[in-house]
Parts: sequence; C-alpha cells; structure tokens
Amino acid sequence: MVKSFYIHIPFCNNICSYCDFAKVYYNKNLVDKYLTALEKEIEKVYQNEVLDTIYIGGGTPSSLSLNETKRLFKILKKLKKSKRLEYTIEANFDSITSEKLDLYKENGINRISFGLESTSPKHLKFLNRSIDLTKVRNIINYTKSIGINNINVDLIYALENESIKDLSKDLDFILSLDITHISTYSLIIEEHTKLYLDNVKNISEDKDFEMYEFIKDKLKKNGFNHYEISNFSKDGYESRHNLSYWNNLEYYGTGVGASSYIKDKRYTNTKSLTKYLEKSFIKEEEILTLDDKCIYEIILGLRKIKGIDKNEFSKKYNSTIYEKFDIMDLLDKKLLCEDERYLFIPEDKLYLENEILLSFIGGSSSGKE
Amino acid sequence: MKQENIRNFCIIAHIDHGKSTLADRILEKTHALEKREMKDQLLDSMDIERERGITIKLNAVELTYQFQGEKYYLNLIDTPGHVDFSYEVSRSMAASDGALLVVDASQGIEAQSLANLYLALDNNLTIIPVINKIDLPNADIAKVTKELENLGFSKEDIVYTSAKTGEGVDTLLEKIIKVIPAPKGDLNKPLKALIFDSIYDPYKGIITSIRVFDGQIKTKDIITMMHTDASYEVLSLSINTPHEKEVSVLNAGQVGYLYASIKTIDDVFIGDTITLKENPTEKALQGYKKITPTVYSGIYPIDSSKFEDLREALEKLKLNDAALTFDPETSTALGFGFRCGFLGLLHMEIIKERLEREFNIDIIATSPSVIYKVKLTNGKEIEVDSPNKMPDKVKISKTLEPYVKMSIFTPKEYIGPIMELCQNKRGSFLNMDYLDEKCVTLNYELPLSEIVYDFFDKIKSFSKGYASFDYEVTGYKESDLVKMDILLNKEVIDALSLIVHKSFAYNRGKAIVSKLKEIIPRQMFEVPIQASIGSKVIARSNIKAMRKNVLAKCYGGDVTRKKKLLEKQKAGKKRMKMLGSVEVPSEAFLSILSSDEKW
Repeated sequence: MVKSFYIHIPFCNNICSYCDFAKVYYNKNLVDKYLTALEKEIEKVYQNEVLDTIYIGGGTPSSLSLNETKRLFKILKKLKKSKRLEYTIEANFDSITSEKLDLYKENGINRISFGLESTSPKHLKFLNRSIDLTKVRNIINYTKSIGINNINVDLIYALENESIKDLSKDLDFILSLDITHISTYSLIIEEHTKLYLDNVKNISEDKDFEMYEFIKDKLKKNGFNHYEISNFSKDGYESRHNLSYWNNLEYYGTGVGASSYIKDKRYTNTKSLTKYLEKSFIKEEEILTLDDKCIYEIILGLRKIKGIDKNEFSKKYNSTIYEKFDIMDLLDKKLLCEDERYLFIPEDKLYLENEILLSFIGGSSSGKE
Repeated sequence: MKQENIRNFCIIAHIDHGKSTLADRILEKTHALEKREMKDQLLDSMDIERERGITIKLNAVELTYQFQGEKYYLNLIDTPGHVDFSYEVSRSMAASDGALLVVDASQGIEAQSLANLYLALDNNLTIIPVINKIDLPNADIAKVTKELENLGFSKEDIVYTSAKTGEGVDTLLEKIIKVIPAPKGDLNKPLKALIFDSIYDPYKGIITSIRVFDGQIKTKDIITMMHTDASYEVLSLSINTPHEKEVSVLNAGQVGYLYASIKTIDDVFIGDTITLKENPTEKALQGYKKITPTVYSGIYPIDSSKFEDLREALEKLKLNDAALTFDPETSTALGFGFRCGFLGLLHMEIIKERLEREFNIDIIATSPSVIYKVKLTNGKEIEVDSPNKMPDKVKISKTLEPYVKMSIFTPKEYIGPIMELCQNKRGSFLNMDYLDEKCVTLNYELPLSEIVYDFFDKIKSFSKGYASFDYEVTGYKESDLVKMDILLNKEVIDALSLIVHKSFAYNRGKAIVSKLKEIIPRQMFEVPIQASIGSKVIARSNIKAMRKNVLAKCYGGDVTRKKKLLEKQKAGKKRMKMLGSVEVPSEAFLSILSSDEKW
C-alpha cells in the first residue's frame, strides 16, 4: 500500500556547481507547461491511496511564483491526506518570501526543508550560491511564527580548502537557528556538474572522516539524534517521508527525474524536460525479484542507525535475514551488530557503510539461495 | 618442382634491425601479396607480435621468383630476434639451408647479430650479410661494412638494402638464388621430414610445420613420429604463400604444413622426425639443441575454478613452445596453480599475455626465480626453483646460484654507468674488447637472478637504449642467499616470498614493502606489511585503514542508481585476490620486480 508521494519541481533561479538533479533555469512559459504535464502524470499513476507523507522537492520549489504555487497546490488537492500527514516542501532562502510561506501554511505544509549548504562566502562562491545570513534568521523566525515548527536545514561539507574551523562555524550558525532537523552531506563530485568540469578534486579521505566525526559529535552534544548516516533530528522530528525510503516502503515519485517504487517495480522518470512535457514520463523500469527486494532492504535499511527490523524483514520476505544473507563473517568482524530486534552497523563503523554493503552485492560473499 | 629451384632460408638479426620489414618487402617483390593486402609485418600473425614489434613465433612462407627464365621457389622462414628466443631461432635454422644476416646500417653489429651468426655457422648455413636501413640519415655504411669484414665476410658478398624503400631487394633475391645451396635430398629414399614447429588451431586442432629432407609425403600416407612412435594418417598438406594453399604432396626440399588430426599434444615433439610407417627411414634427423628454462614463476588463476582451463591453455601453448614447462603447485595464498619455466622474462611476459588474451584467463604470476642449488647438512644436494622449496636454514650447508657470462655491446660513452650497474648487480669484470674505435664489448660474469630482476630496463636506460647484451649460463657458484618472506597483516604470504642475496636483502625488503603499500588499497582495518628473514623483521610499513566510505547522498528516492553503483564497484573487485583477510590487486605480485630500488 503506497503511503508516500514525491513531487519534483525542476526549476531554479540559480544553478549550483555540484547539483546533478533534474533542473532547469526558471522560465515562466515552461513552468506553465510543466504543471500541466505533472497534473497528467499524477492523474495517470495515482490510485487514490490515503497518504501519510508528501514531499515537494527539486530543483527549487520556492522558485515558483505565488500564482504558480497556488496552481501546484490545486493540482495536489486531489491527493488524499491522512490525519497524521507530514507535508514537506523544499525552499531556498533567495526565492522564499513571507507570502509564499503563508500560502504553504494555508495549504497544509507542516515541514520545510531549507537549502543553506554553507555560511562562508568563500565556500558559497565555490558552490555557486549566495546567502544573506540575516535574511536566513528572519525567514526561519517567520516560518516558526506562522506555526511551521518542523524545519530542516541542509549543510554540505568536505569542500575544497574547508577547515574544521569553517565547518564548526557553519554548525554553530545552524544550531543557533533552533530548528528540528539537520541534513549533512559530504560533497560528491558528480559527472555533468560544474565542479566535475572544473576538475575539482575531493578532499582527502582522512579529512572527510575527521569532519564526519566532528559533525556527529557536535550535533549529538547539542541534543540531536543521529538517526540516519547523513541525518540528525530532535526527538520525534525524523523525516517520515525519507524514512519510508529507508524502510524500503512503496512510494510514488512524479515529475521529471523522479523515481517510484510500486508493487514489484521501481521506475525512474526521464530526466529530459522535453520528453516529460511530451508526456513520455517513464524512462526505466526495474522489475524486482524477491532477492532484489531483499538487497534494497539492506542497502536502504543499513543507512538507519537503528538498523533493519529483523521481524519486519521475516514478515515481508517470508524468510529470515540469516537465510537470505551470510552475515556471520560481518558479525564476527563487528562490522555488523545485532540485538533482539535489529541488525545494524555499529556507530564506529558507519563510515564504512559502502564497503559493508559491497559484501552483500553479487559475487562470492553474498546471498545464499 | 625441381629441387634445384628451391631455396630454404631464414633471416637472423638483432631485435629492431628491420627483419620483419625486410620480410614484408620480399613478399611484395615476389608478388606474393597484392599491395592492398599488405599490412606491416605480415608474418607476425599474433596481435602481441605486431604490437610489440617483435617476432615471437616463426612462420614459413613459399614465394616464387623468376630469374633468368627459371621459376624459383623461395621458402622464407621467419625467426624471432630477442635473446629469450634463440631456441626458436635454432628451430628455424634446422629447416633452412641458408640465412640472411641483417644488420642495421645505423646501429651496426650487436649482441644478437653475433649470437645468431654463430648459431647459424654451427648449423652449417650459408650466410648472406645484409646491411639494411641504408636510407637512414645516420646510416654509417662504411663502418658497418668494416664490422662485417672484421667478422670474415668479403665486401663483395654484402648486400645493401632499404626494406623501407625496397632498394636492393631484387639484388638480394638474386643473391639468395645464386649463393644459397639448393636442398640435396633424395626423392627416392624413404620419407625423412623434420617437425620444426606446431600450432594449435581452434578449428583444425594441431598443425605441424615440416621440412622434407628425403622422399615425399602425400595425403592419406600413414606416418610415424620417430621419437614418440605415434602413427597418424595425413589428412591434408598445405603451403603458405602466404595464403594457405592445399597440396597433395610435399617433396624432398619442400617446406609446408601437415594436418593429421593428432589428438594428443604429447605426440608432437618439435625436432622429431616424421617417416612413413610402411617404409621408414633408417635414422632420424638430429633434433636441434634443446634449451631448458632459466626462469621460473608460479602462475595461478585469479578465479580458482579456472585451474583446469589454465592447464589446457598451457598445454596448447606448449605445443609450439617446447621451451615452456609447467608442473602443478599449491600456494596457501593463491590455491592451485602451476610452476612454469621460461627462457627469460620476455618469454614469461608473452606467455602471461597470451593466457589472458587468447584464453581469457585472469592470472596472477608470482615473482620470477632462477634454479638454485642447495647443499644440505646431510650431504644431499637439491634444486630449488621456488622460494617456498627453500629448506630450513639449519639444514643448509651451502647455497649455490647460476651465473652467466654476459657480453654487453655498447658505444664507449656508456661504459662507466654500465660497469657501475654490473658491479652493483654483483658482477665480476672479465675483459673488454674494442670492436672499433667507438664500440666495445664488455664481458662480465653475473648471477642470473640479477638479470631476471630488472637488468634489461636498467641497461637500456643507462645507455639511452644503445647498449645490447647477450648471455649464456655458465654454471653454479656458491652465494650467500636467504629466503625473504613478506607478511600482510602478520601472515606470511607464500606467493610473495623470494630468494635474495643477503647483502641486498635490507634494501630490497624496504623497496618491496613501500611498493606494496602503494599498490594495495586501504582496507577496512589497518594492515601492517613486513619483510622478514626467518623471524627477523627487516622492513615494515602500514596500509592505513579505509576512512570515509559512504554513498552519502540518498534523497529523491533514486536508489536504483545506488544499487547500480554498488554493483559496478563490486565488479571492480573481481581482479582482487583475498590473501587471508586482505584484498590484494593482482599487480601486487609482480610489483616486487619493479620496485623503485636504486639498483
């Protein structure tokens, strides 16, 4: 039963140097056509399920004008919302206004995720972003004043020439905003981004590690729970929408470049806006076998600090996690731990997640049949 | 075809003196090929040969040439030039009556020109000296002519060619007809033919190259291999023009290919004599000099389930490469594999490449070793071709290693660095000869194990590529040798062990440890690398533990991509071998050879 819904808004007023999501410069004419196509896609895929979480991401959803945002919410009226709905929109401090925030509130938005990424002018320039910190503080205060208290701020670290001191300043600023959720991402230089074309190199593995440990330490000391590799929240403010991904639950994804997981298939929409506007939405389909589903459960579930619920696993896949995977070696090496209910990567080995996942993939050390 | 109109000859030269290009030009002049069919170095049919510009496997081709109203049949038998392959050169010679000694007009006589010349004289071949590359701006024809005269050739006998422009090639062809003797076989005697090569063809099976000395061979004849005593029916005969052309008979004097549906590789012995079962010849031909391997290395499949495939591949390679030997061996680290014997390092590299390219088997080759002799305290003597066969120190009374007599040809300005190199390779100076006022021959006695290591690269770099060398194993000498072990994560990796001279152990240990540190990627835990002799650690380093290793980004729900990324990374690990708990890339095993030691 699908309970989560993602909507992608690809428009941006500004293109960040690291971004490899489906995005285009804001263009009034295109927005209009895009919303029409989006409405069609939603009509086509949505089967009237009652939704627990809705997430409007991008791109920059706040780049839409007031009228365009109104039209978007009108389209989303068709979605059936449960009483405990978590309704998130992403926003950017450049394009957000108090009027837009009011409009969000009127339409039921109860969580906002702001892209801050950095506070230092030098690093913002590197990311091709600009931010006025006073404005940031005012917007956050206004958001809270109209009753939207569940607020996330994104931070990107491991930037060229970034010091622990720089990172510490960023975190101090974010903590001073007194918000409920912080996402921290170590910079990945993706192909087809400006950074890649500029031949920017990653910082050293050791530095990246040091920064990760610093973030974990500092945020925990300030009352945040580390609940997923890159995510921290105050008690009870975990992102329920993102948890639906990590719990390997089904979700709709609509809009250009979005992905969905429905029944036995994972879909990836086209990244081409032209194709999307021509209403050929889906680019790829992956039909999932039981084994594929189990692998996804591992790839996603081990991102959570709590880990994978072994009972849930048995219920979902009709066999225990031990029957599906040979994990004894990983347990012996303390790369995995378990308690009565959960299987998890211990806190001090989290930084090795990728390597640990590799032992579940294909080849000799993976899946028993 | 009259026997007096046949000429069987080979071409001998130092590497890079233009042997294969000259063969191409001869093919073109005799109209064996249309111009459009010509690709460079046509006789070198293997990819590796063309890429490396060297001839590995010999090849025979029959050409026709009109001279003074008569049609002549010229059988050109190609030979390799590298020092590792003098064995194959001797095979070509056994099938020939004459040889073209090709010398580069700018380089002059070099190590292998001489070595091959002496080999040809030993085989009673008629030699035509050829100065090639006369078109080069730096050609010094007078000097090279003088060098040849010093070797006893008369000026009138020398042919001057440019394989590149074709100049002199017609003169050369005429000279071949005039000077090289026609075969003197007796057509009426019982069949006597020499197997001088064989190859494995994936469609036809085993094909052998033969030279008929007496009598004739026809399809449907029942033949016997005199050495192995195996009998077969001749299914087909062919000659290479260089297009394959089937013939019904090969007469005394001719060279061609024989296909007889031979099932067992062991039945074909290169150097063996073929005769007719019903009417055999009395005496077999004298097989040519057999050459034994000097370098040994362990070859293991990365995927241990490919062991049998590897065996089959080695058997097929051995078919036309009798110098290759292999015996099964086991390694704690690498599992089941083969201890293989090679003529030299280049030979080893070529076999490795052929295994990977032609047979598609990913392999690990361990560091090469020579054959050591060890005298035990109980009076016995054993041979050790692998570090892991080295007995315990307390049981050894003395160790001996093979020495070579090495001749190095070099322009005199490089004498200094080359002598220093030889000194540092534990060489002892024998003498020095001036070939002319610019070139010298340095003679040294050196341990073979030092040449196996990196001698070739070093001598080339010290002489800007000008020096060349040749060597022959002369015997064994006592030497202070020790077995050095390499430990990863405190476990001895048997496949990385090596035997070194005690005085070099410390430096080599240090170099290997630092090279391994560079090659082995970070692991999930810190891995100590150590080099030790017995229980004494002589060098150590650490591979740092892997640090941040997270696919951090996971929003938008695009997890399909993440799975693909993980699958791609996993596939990248296929060329890694688990040694104990450490993942080691296959290159690590040979890194021991190329560690950046000063000497």
